[in-house]
Amino acid sequence: MVDASSPATADVRQLRWSLSAMRQRVWLISAAVVVVSLIGLVSSWLDPTIRAPLRPGLDFTGGTQIQLERQCDPACADLKAIAVSNVIRELALPKEGNAPLPQLNAPRVQLLDAGQSLLLRLPTLSAAQGQAVIQAVEPVAGPFKDGGQSVDTIGPSLGRQLLQSSLVSLLVAFAGIAVYISFRYDRRYAFLALVALAHDVVIVCGFFAWLGLFFQLEVDSLFAVALLTIAGYSVNDTVVVFDRIRERTQQGSDLPLKLQVDQAVSATLTRTLYTSGTTLMPLLALVFFGGSTLYWFAIALALGVVVGSWSSIALAPSLLTLWQPQGD
Amino acid sequence: MARYQGWFAFVLALAIAAGMFLLRTPLELGLDLRGGSQLTVQVQPAGDITRVGSEEMEAVKAVLERRVNGLGVAESTLQTVGDTQLVLQLPGEQDPTRAARVLGSTAMLEFRAQKPGAEGDLRSLRQLRSQVRAILRLREDQARNGDPDNSDGIDFDQLAEAQKLFGLDGESTSEIDQLQQLLEKVNGEIVQQFEPAALTGKDLVTAGRQPLQNNPNSWEVTLSFNSDGAEAFAELTKSIAGTDRLLGIVLDGQAISEASVGPQFQAAGISGGSASISGNFTAEEARELEVQLRGGSLPLPVEIIEVRTIGPTLGAENIRRSLVAALSGLAFVAVFMVVAYRLPGAVAVVALSLYALFNLAMYALIPVTLTLPGIAGFILSIGMAVDANVLIFERIKDELRRGNTLIRSIDTGFSEAFSSIVDGHLTTLISCAALFFLGTGLVKGFAATLGIGVLLSLFTALTCTRTLLRFLMGYSGLRSPNNFLPNSQLPTPSA
Repeated sequence: MVDASSPATADVRQLRWSLSAMRQRVWLISAAVVVVSLIGLVSSWLDPTIRAPLRPGLDFTGGTQIQLERQCDPACADLKAIAVSNVIRELALPKEGNAPLPQLNAPRVQLLDAGQSLLLRLPTLSAAQGQAVIQAVEPVAGPFKDGGQSVDTIGPSLGRQLLQSSLVSLLVAFAGIAVYISFRYDRRYAFLALVALAHDVVIVCGFFAWLGLFFQLEVDSLFAVALLTIAGYSVNDTVVVFDRIRERTQQGSDLPLKLQVDQAVSATLTRTLYTSGTTLMPLLALVFFGGSTLYWFAIALALGVVVGSWSSIALAPSLLTLWQPQGD
Repeated sequence: MARYQGWFAFVLALAIAAGMFLLRTPLELGLDLRGGSQLTVQVQPAGDITRVGSEEMEAVKAVLERRVNGLGVAESTLQTVGDTQLVLQLPGEQDPTRAARVLGSTAMLEFRAQKPGAEGDLRSLRQLRSQVRAILRLREDQARNGDPDNSDGIDFDQLAEAQKLFGLDGESTSEIDQLQQLLEKVNGEIVQQFEPAALTGKDLVTAGRQPLQNNPNSWEVTLSFNSDGAEAFAELTKSIAGTDRLLGIVLDGQAISEASVGPQFQAAGISGGSASISGNFTAEEARELEVQLRGGSLPLPVEIIEVRTIGPTLGAENIRRSLVAALSGLAFVAVFMVVAYRLPGAVAVVALSLYALFNLAMYALIPVTLTLPGIAGFILSIGMAVDANVLIFERIKDELRRGNTLIRSIDTGFSEAFSSIVDGHLTTLISCAALFFLGTGLVKGFAATLGIGVLLSLFTALTCTRTLLRFLMGYSGLRSPNNFLPNSQLPTPSA
């Protein structure tokens, strides 16, 4: 019988991926993707129609969004978005108290699910005004399915609150995680876990910034939820790898840190790939089988899982080797 | 061995209890899954109150609660969110207009006596108002039914003259808008004909409604006052009884109706403290007014900042699709685990099913309202729950490769994986806690479901998987390392 903790030979045999040998390439890839993401965020900010790092959706800007499902039996009649927006532009809204009438000169009309449903984005409307819009659109795009409608009206102050509370809670969560890791490990582990986390969050945001620039994709509060989840997943993933590295270094091995890190990463590689695989599968199921509501949410999460795995098996451990203890 | 049998019985009992509980207590579905309306109201400071504190919130909530109960929507909920917001959920309600009207308006009821003199002005104003109302109703009916233009018996010249008189150009907007603007002006002018309020809704004890005797399609709202109110009402009616002056009933600054007081009340006024308002109300309008009056005036103004309405079939479609996604995701994970880890993989599948069962039971127990992001969090947590099992099994494989015995490998695998499982789960829990306590709305719900998932996965991975695995090891037929790792990967036994 062999002692569980000692033989270095068995571990070296398992070395499937020499991370330290290609750490410069890892950094180059990560840096390049981060730079492309940052360019996307900055371009989005400079874009006069967006003026924010990501194209904000209704949840953040306020307004009314109306979703209508068309009755298609068997197939939907052809419909052009422009026809719908023309009708809305001409519409005279019922007045609501003393409030000024909302301007309908720039409605945004989108056809979803191959023309089966209709998404209208309008300035903030009262419930009665929303009904008036639906009635006006019905002759052009209807008939609509009973009970297939959704009308969301969100005041701009609510969006600001949502953004603020998400950011504050995210920062507090980061601080809590940093404190926990520095308590359980040490400060460099905590710092690198946060670097990996920032790396993942920036890349996912950058990807959506580019989508916003080219495909007018807007981010909603579900995207905020997705980012928070990615942050949690990223740290969880990184901590498991760090745990292995710490276990190695605490065994008092004479091997250089680089090699110890390589061994630890190799030992957890199967686990990381399996885990991201099993997390990705339900997400891909959501992408392919889930409704349109969760489509972009699932894509954001799936991208986060891929990037998070990369940062925890490649980026974070390779950065750790920069702290080579003196005289080793 | 007996120790693991005890644990096994415990896990089994827990599973049965969870299953039974789940059968009895249905999961609470959020509005995005079953359809309905959700309104968010912001309470605003006004007058002397510059900051909305918890006391003010309680007072506003009490008033709104009475009004919401009056709406008669089953299972409606009204919750305080943050410091100054209230969220009202109305499952199944497809017309948020009604709720918005009842919630948002202040229902400030006033009784006013007509100013002396100029009785003729009021008479012509009231005449104009009833004409405008009639035309407006006709036009609205036409717009709703798409009837052909039928303007029989309407004096448009007189209408145009009235518009000019009130300074409305009548060019810019639709006819219905014009009529509404005119009606508002006329109403405002009528209110001017009355003295300031002598009696307000704050002395109101209760309100009711009934159809008019001579016209069952028209309803009146009945009121009863407390002793102060009764006294004020008697005083007010006494002052105008037998004169040509009218009693004006003003709601939220709008003239609702005017009543004459007969000469028989000249001596003592109308005593007894009850009155009725007949303003040509429909049954629905009378009910809304009753609800508003019963609820009393809001101590602070509120603004409706969010209205979400989701159709019931849209919700059903979302459930169906998310369920398909969740099940296919689970099925894949199950197949994958068995292929990758053989016997322990199969054990993990059982543990994961227990995990899903416990998780749903927890949702019913707490209770957690299941929303779309909640389901997403659940699906995601399945993937994360697998992680703990993968960590353990990888360690067991490592130990077997090193040539350890099976039982020892299993025990070492669990203890070696313990610290990283705990660290991973705790860091996720820390962020869940931050998101739950500081986040709002969607974020809060997501943090709650993910947090429950993380805690349960910690429990199932560390107890269920282990218990089941050790229990199965009691059967010698299963005790072959080959069930854990293909023979080819095992080290050749050394001498």
